[in-house]
Amino acid sequence: MSDTPKRPARAIKLNVLNEPKESYTGGKSSLCPGCGHDQISSVIINAAWENGIEPHRVAKMSGIGCSSKTPAYYLGQSHGFNTVHGRMPSVTTGAYTINKDLLYIGVSGDGDSASIGIGQLIHAIRRNMDMVYIIENNGVYGLTKGQYSATADIGSKKKKGAPNKTQPIDLCALAINLGCTFVARSFSGSKKQLGSLIKAAMSHKGFALIDVISPCVTFNNNDESMRSYGYVKENEITLHMTDYIPHFNPVEEIDVPEGHFRDITLHDGSTIRLETISAEHDPESPVAALTALHNAESDKKHVTGLLYFDNTKPSLAEDLGLVDMPLVDVPDSVLRPGKDMLDKINAALHI
Amino acid sequence: METIANDFTINIATANGTGSQSANLILLQSLFEMGVPVSGKNMFPSNISGLPTWYIVRLSDLGYQAPGNRTHIQVLLNPATWHEDLESLEPGSVVIWNENAKMEMTRDDVVSYPIPMSALARKINPKIAKLVTNIIYVGVLAEMLGIDQEQLESAVAKQFKGKASAIELNITALGLGRDYFKDNHTKSDPYVVEKRKIEKPQFFIEGNEAVALGCLFGGVQMLAWYPITPSSSLAEGIINYIPQLRTDDDGNTTCAVVQAEDELAAAGMVLGAGWAGGRGMTATSGPGISLMQEFIGLGYFAEIPSVFWDVNRVGPSTGLPTRTQQSDITMLYEGSHGDTQHIVLIPGTVEECFEFGWRAFDYAERFQTPIFGLSDLDLGMNRWACEGFEYPDQEMDRGKVVRDRDVFEAFEEFGRYLDVDGDGIPYRTLPGSGMDPILYRGTGHNSKGVYSEKPHDYYELMQRLKRKIEGARDILPAPLLREEAECEIGIIYLGSMENTIQEIDDILEATGIKVSQCRVRALPMHSEVENFISRHEVTIVLEINRDGQLYGILRKELPNHLITKVRSVAYSDGVPPRAGIYAERILETLKEEVE
Repeated sequence: MSDTPKRPARAIKLNVLNEPKESYTGGKSSLCPGCGHDQISSVIINAAWENGIEPHRVAKMSGIGCSSKTPAYYLGQSHGFNTVHGRMPSVTTGAYTINKDLLYIGVSGDGDSASIGIGQLIHAIRRNMDMVYIIENNGVYGLTKGQYSATADIGSKKKKGAPNKTQPIDLCALAINLGCTFVARSFSGSKKQLGSLIKAAMSHKGFALIDVISPCVTFNNNDESMRSYGYVKENEITLHMTDYIPHFNPVEEIDVPEGHFRDITLHDGSTIRLETISAEHDPESPVAALTALHNAESDKKHVTGLLYFDNTKPSLAEDLGLVDMPLVDVPDSVLRPGKDMLDKINAALHI
Repeated sequence: METIANDFTINIATANGTGSQSANLILLQSLFEMGVPVSGKNMFPSNISGLPTWYIVRLSDLGYQAPGNRTHIQVLLNPATWHEDLESLEPGSVVIWNENAKMEMTRDDVVSYPIPMSALARKINPKIAKLVTNIIYVGVLAEMLGIDQEQLESAVAKQFKGKASAIELNITALGLGRDYFKDNHTKSDPYVVEKRKIEKPQFFIEGNEAVALGCLFGGVQMLAWYPITPSSSLAEGIINYIPQLRTDDDGNTTCAVVQAEDELAAAGMVLGAGWAGGRGMTATSGPGISLMQEFIGLGYFAEIPSVFWDVNRVGPSTGLPTRTQQSDITMLYEGSHGDTQHIVLIPGTVEECFEFGWRAFDYAERFQTPIFGLSDLDLGMNRWACEGFEYPDQEMDRGKVVRDRDVFEAFEEFGRYLDVDGDGIPYRTLPGSGMDPILYRGTGHNSKGVYSEKPHDYYELMQRLKRKIEGARDILPAPLLREEAECEIGIIYLGSMENTIQEIDDILEATGIKVSQCRVRALPMHSEVENFISRHEVTIVLEINRDGQLYGILRKELPNHLITKVRSVAYSDGVPPRAGIYAERILETLKEEVE
């Protein structure tokens, strides 16, 4: 009896791996109190925990900026790489070629992804690399004290300075046009929707981009800003209700909603359920997705939900023609060809 | 007339994209197979078709491989450079020229062999006359110099492997060139080719292909690259050998290849691969390294194994993309902002290209830092004689990686950047391994890898990094010394200058000056380099650049009493080094010494 570990007084909730949520938390955030990014971090923690992801199988990737600091604040048991400004996609690509079996969760900002790193983002999408790519998008540069970024909406005004006049880059529209296989937009204030989308992205094979409007409480949360909490709450158009049903939780056991819905089966057998709100959105139609984005922009609204999904494209690992075993596990004796091979090459060159 | 055997230079002037390269390689290969020490330099333009190209073939029983100080036989096909080429010849030179080029022979002090090359080529096939014209001049040269038909045919077969019709056509064209010379000219020049006994069988190979093979035998797992002259053939060499060397029976490979969107991304991928525990590399040239600087600093500061091959071309900026130089030395050694210091491997032969190709990965993982291979266009893209490559004489060195829990637990204290062994090299764990993780960063960090701005943490980190790279000096390839007793003058040089140094040495010796040689093969420089300097009264640092970059590094690192013993001779005009130019400058520098 004395060998039996003492049970904690209060039952701790465990996930399918029998891990408490504490196994998924990280360090203390140094961001401004109320920052949207911290809400996203907590959603990532929940998503990974509820999905039963093994923390050591996750690689946290980021660039530079407020958003890119956040990997220090979640999944403390996972390796991570806070790389350089805008270049997280290339570092992730290199890591992925060596270990394609890790779950790569990239976090980036609008400065990182829409300006300095837009080229790398574009090419990572083109390659359909398996990763979750979350953009914490607030329309301003925070660490340098509040300059507009390339996603700032026309007519939107940040706390200081004149309204933005420059055409914004819609990263979701860009991704859809590039054939990105999973494109969603969400809001840091919509924890349920964001949680379902992040979990679905984790279950997707290919490049999953989630553009999250994440208000900057310090530089861009004033009434004239189109990315303030107040503005987004009032002007969010939700495409559908999103529910994520993990593969270890059979879909038939889930209550069927009363209205119209659509189930999308993800790579690992999980499901994302899209419940129709007013009109049904077809996430497999790039035209429908682009139309929704265009209409929202015209009306100065933000459309959220799973905009576009495509599970027919091969991912980068397939294109690279790699052996099944992750390259990091291939023994040296296989990596270095034998002496007989060099003898053959020398002989062939001598002919 | 006295004959001159195996000691002359042929310059072939054509236009880019006309197919002259295969004709020139046939000429080179057939001479090589006759046992004649020969080298070929392709002076090509940055252009797909139309701009002037020169191919320089040097025959030298003494083994000189530099382009030579003058042209003895000029082959003239290109109207665009006709007069320039003619005017640069010394009296008595031989000119083989295309009579159908609608150009005049304006020199009467040369041995002139007009050949209706275009007309002869049209006889064979009017549609491809332009291509065939090139092989006609090879036939003419063969007859004029006495090149064996057997060797020529073997070289043709090698060039057009298995393409029977191309082989037949080229052999017919060679015959037409030969016959025309025989029937219409009487040899009135002294130059002949004499067969030599082949002591050790050799083959021709470009430095880039040798590096590529070396990398594959070094277990490269990821190549990320962006095409750039003159390094593309290095990356393509790897790609071409992967099916043979690194692909299993199911057609799956253990070496990923990603053609990146630019050099920045290529560098990022290399770091990502190293971070994940793999052997990643890229191949580029100076402009690519300029773009990679940001990641090079990250690799140094976050301590990530990574391999970068720089096939140096002429800078600055776009420079002369198809000419050679040794001008990236400083940029590699001190790359990126802040205080940095990088390991640079500098091969001077194709054998070393192969060897440093595999060793670079061992050093990268051992020292957990970016490793540079510094080649150049001359070494990388020209063909060099090679006896064969030697299999790595040691197991792959994977460095200080903790892979097991037991080993991990045995550490009294574990910190990613903790100097446990006193050599400045910390231990690391890999993502996915289940060992304790860290969040890698390019920001300041303490020995645990946690963000820190504390003065002590920063200072200690920078000191340890310095200690780590300093510790590599005597582990990296030692300099090659050719030292003569009681020599007062030493010459330090590096890389592809290896192919010119003997000729320079002989020119100096002819003036009564004996010198010792020291070829630097890695940065930071081995302590033997300093010892070499201290053993000589004066040491000249010989480089193919304007500013004397290696000299600059020595001035920074040598003790005060040795700095005054070192002189710089640096010269570059884009052309592979010609011995005469450098010898003259060395003599001038030594003369100043006496004065």
